[in-house]
Amino acid sequence: MTVRAFASRAAGFALLWWVLSEGRLDGWLLGGVGVAAATWASLRLAPPGARGVRAAPLLRFLGFFIWNSLRGGVQVACMALRPRPDLVPALLELELALPPGAARVLMLNTLGLMPGTLGVDLDHARLRLHVLDARLPVAAEARALEAHIARLFGAAP
Amino acid sequence: MIDLASDALLLVGAFFYFAGTVGLVRFPDVYTRLHALAKADNLGLGCVLAGLALQAESLAAALKLLLIWPLVLAASAAVSYAIAHRAEALGVAPWRREEK
Repeated sequence: MTVRAFASRAAGFALLWWVLSEGRLDGWLLGGVGVAAATWASLRLAPPGARGVRAAPLLRFLGFFIWNSLRGGVQVACMALRPRPDLVPALLELELALPPGAARVLMLNTLGLMPGTLGVDLDHARLRLHVLDARLPVAAEARALEAHIARLFGAAP
Repeated sequence: MIDLASDALLLVGAFFYFAGTVGLVRFPDVYTRLHALAKADNLGLGCVLAGLALQAESLAAALKLLLIWPLVLAASAAVSYAIAHRAEALGVAPWRREEK
């Protein structure tokens, strides 16, 4: 397991170096040192074996995220360009069912890119968010995002 | 064909940057302005980077351009939360529409 984690992470960092150096070959001496250091730091800071993120839910989450950030951008652009802005801002509170740590942080951060929502405060499981238009079904969309993140971390149903 | 797609993406990206900036000027308070900036500008950046990646000279250069997007996305999501959080802690009340 450790060997696999080592190999896949080293390959990932090598790919990253290849991208950063735009495919040039003359920087690989420094790049090799960088890849080795990054792999070591990564194995040290995030040891393999801990419950990771699985591939299928990750792809579904990314699809959901990209589609909704597209919707969010289009929606807010329409609101901004409307001759008479028609905003009904409000603060909402939601009780999160996500486990503490990375899952909640991801939720809080992605909310700012979803249609009509912006994370304002997170106190334990109580999330406060600002919404642009309280007439839109923002709470349901936040719940959908929460469900995706829960599956991503293998936390809930 | 590729040039056409690239031009179209760059124009769409510019449009979203424009809309985000219009929102920044027209929206009434710090929270609503953050909505406009975070969402519209990220979409604009995504389109501009995709348009530039289509013109890139090598696959690695194209991937490098596309790599910028998730990094800026993460930074902008975290920063807009940080600004909103601080504004609330300072007691900035969200703007509300007056009842007619």
